[in-house]
Amino acid sequence: MGVSQAQDWVLLAYKLPRIPSTPRSAVWRKLKRLGVGWISDGLVALPADPRTREQLEWIAEEITDNGGEAALWLGRPLEASAAVAVAERMNAAVAAEYDGLAAEADAASAADPSARRRAVIRLRRELHRIQGRDFFACPAGEAARRAVEHLAATGTVPVRP
Amino acid sequence: MKWATRPGVHVDRAACTWLIRRFIDPNAEFVFAADIEAVPADATPFDMRGAALGHHEGRCSFETALTAYDLTADPALEEIGRIVHEADLADDRYDAPVAAGLDVLIRGLTLTGSSDYDTLAITHKLFDGLYEHRRRQLITGRPPA
Repeated sequence: MGVSQAQDWVLLAYKLPRIPSTPRSAVWRKLKRLGVGWISDGLVALPADPRTREQLEWIAEEITDNGGEAALWLGRPLEASAAVAVAERMNAAVAAEYDGLAAEADAASAADPSARRRAVIRLRRELHRIQGRDFFACPAGEAARRAVEHLAATGTVPVRP
Repeated sequence: MKWATRPGVHVDRAACTWLIRRFIDPNAEFVFAADIEAVPADATPFDMRGAALGHHEGRCSFETALTAYDLTADPALEEIGRIVHEADLADDRYDAPVAAGLDVLIRGLTLTGSSDYDTLAITHKLFDGLYEHRRRQLITGRPPA
């Protein structure tokens, strides 16, 4: 996995009241969509680049707008194993998403042509979303991509006996 | 007037500077500051953490600025707001297929090492075109040829 000790991480340490629960779950959903690594309760991390930094900055703003506390840090692990552990959890999460997507694509190949067409559009979109949070080139991504493209090609070429 | 934002502009800041210069303050002067503490006292900060013209209640800075400066009556601007929102946040709040292309174009432009001012000169042209396109589509009800 492409994790090195030299990799900078942007870390968001936050506290948000449990009640009301709506802002809390909105923040949780956004962090999930970004694909953050969860280091501990209230501490999440992403490999640092201008985009991830900005994304976490806006979530920090949302947390403070909702009466919580949020602080952003830029950090580097002293032990490579610490970063590997976080990256492995992140990778396992996207791998599960890719596998689910590939299974959906396989299942949709039995559907009628118009349902198949709709499934291709939806699954391609979903694939792009997962790729957006795949920070370490998860190997399951290629299989998911092929499954969706296979579905797209299904029925376009006459099958020979 | 002076307006301040973070350097390394991307879609939301590019769109805000275009909106400011074209609809709010034709003589706008843009300066860059790393964070709100570094913004000169005579400048209005935007698209930075802690600024009123920032991301609030799930809106991107461009959408916040539309509301703050009473520009929501222009449906073409509202639509650009939805495109910028999806290009910046990609949270599927809106159906804006143009957003993905806009995001890639501006991100690519910043990778060529173009300065923030050069980037803005180009993106202002892009947003002029996008505005004209959406405006004509709204008038005729069809994508312009």
